[in-house]
Amino acid sequence: MMQIIIQGMLLSGLYALIAMGFMLIFSIGRTLNLAYGAYIMVGGYIYFWLSQQLGMPKIVGFGGAVAVGALMGLLKHRLIVKPLKGDPVAVEISTLILAVIMQSAMVLAFGDASKILLPLIPGVVTVAGAQVTYNILAATIMSWVIILALYAFVRGTHTGRAMQAVSMDEKGAAISGVDPDRINMITWAISGGLGAAGGVFFASYTQLSPSMWVAPVIISVAIVIVGGIGSIIGTLIVAHIIGFLEITVVAVLAPELRGVFTMVLIIGVLIMRPQGLFGREEH
Amino acid sequence: MSMIEIENLSAFYGKAQALRNVSLRVEPGETIAIVGANGAGKSTLLDSIMGLVKNTGTIRMEGQDVTGAKPGDMVRRGVGYAPERFNLFPHMTVRDNLLVGAYTAREDIDKNMDAVHRLFPRLAEREGQETSTQSGGERQMVSLGRALMTSPRILLVDEPTIGLAPKVCVEIAEVLRRLSAEMGLTVIVTEQNANFALSLASRLYVLEGGHVTAEGTAVELAKDDQLAKSYFGA
Repeated sequence: MMQIIIQGMLLSGLYALIAMGFMLIFSIGRTLNLAYGAYIMVGGYIYFWLSQQLGMPKIVGFGGAVAVGALMGLLKHRLIVKPLKGDPVAVEISTLILAVIMQSAMVLAFGDASKILLPLIPGVVTVAGAQVTYNILAATIMSWVIILALYAFVRGTHTGRAMQAVSMDEKGAAISGVDPDRINMITWAISGGLGAAGGVFFASYTQLSPSMWVAPVIISVAIVIVGGIGSIIGTLIVAHIIGFLEITVVAVLAPELRGVFTMVLIIGVLIMRPQGLFGREEH
Repeated sequence: MSMIEIENLSAFYGKAQALRNVSLRVEPGETIAIVGANGAGKSTLLDSIMGLVKNTGTIRMEGQDVTGAKPGDMVRRGVGYAPERFNLFPHMTVRDNLLVGAYTAREDIDKNMDAVHRLFPRLAEREGQETSTQSGGERQMVSLGRALMTSPRILLVDEPTIGLAPKVCVEIAEVLRRLSAEMGLTVIVTEQNANFALSLASRLYVLEGGHVTAEGTAVELAKDDQLAKSYFGA
């Protein structure tokens, strides 16, 4: 039982970290960014390249991954999302295509074989009889720190309030002196950076491969649909619901059923509460 | 020098033309009203001044050409806007809505917040309430308050009384008068209700089908029988 609680907490923290950037873009940019997984994949590869292939300090590898993720977010907004604004289907298809292109680029650059990413923080600790790697413990702690910082930023700063304002009424924000375009760019950069940070931990939790972007996108979509648009706390809570659900299913039923109940949860929420458990009805 | 001077302004939504060669001016400290029926182009005119709509022609503010300026530039130049549909942030509190208005005027937050609370004490009482749960009158107050948080020198107010109870209309009118008299703000107000507009403005422009068909003081406009019948209930 304790094993399930600890593993559930750790996996949930990782899921929350991964989903947070996706939720930001979905809530503020109103875009289902299917290329979000590309930030995660590229984040993992940049960390691998800098810290394992070039031998740079791990913190430089991590910082480089976050910087490249943020840059990708900025470029994606500038080159794809902005020109296609007003056509969500075109944006979604384009972002999906971009993820596939990024996958091919990673195959070209690093080959298609999976790689083991050395943990950011090596070592194992035993907590209440459960073996826990420092790496996933760090991911969980970092996820909480990032979520709390993001919450404070969105609620307590002018830029954070402007992000909320743009998500609710773009004209209202514009006549208040907010430049929605600039706010969207900031949001896309933060989202890219968060995705890449999550990617470093996710890749070391699973493994690094060019196709690793798919699973995090599915997890992120699930968390945001079940949680609802625009709720940082909702995202955090649902990440824990899904994390615990998966760990429990694997421990009690069968590992093959890991994602099945998450999908059932999505369908159930879509039918019974389309705005999500913590979302608000859109007017 | 006029606070705002507009010459031959035409505005478009895609291929549809909403304004045709509109010219008008408002002097510093003056209150003018744009009167017209639904669809006459009143909101488009204010949106054009704010840089929200594609347009041709010339808009000058204190002699400087601001044609094509972005909404953020206009706000920084001192233009505040309370639009007809309020465009508030429904799931943010009254206080946070007002603070978004202070985005470009952060050094004036305390001063402006005090002024807003003096004008609308109800907003101080309900600063923690989400605007989605407020009445139309309260939302109008938040909308005007948010515009005032931008530290404006000119205020654009689009149909401030539409859909509001008569008692609230009186309150709003009183606030608009105080803004002009006590704070020296220049005000452009649009209205379907010409008599309400007359109670506020020194001059009126009549907008029909996207162009100005008459302008002048109330006395001058009342001499036109057709206008008096259409707009002043004569």
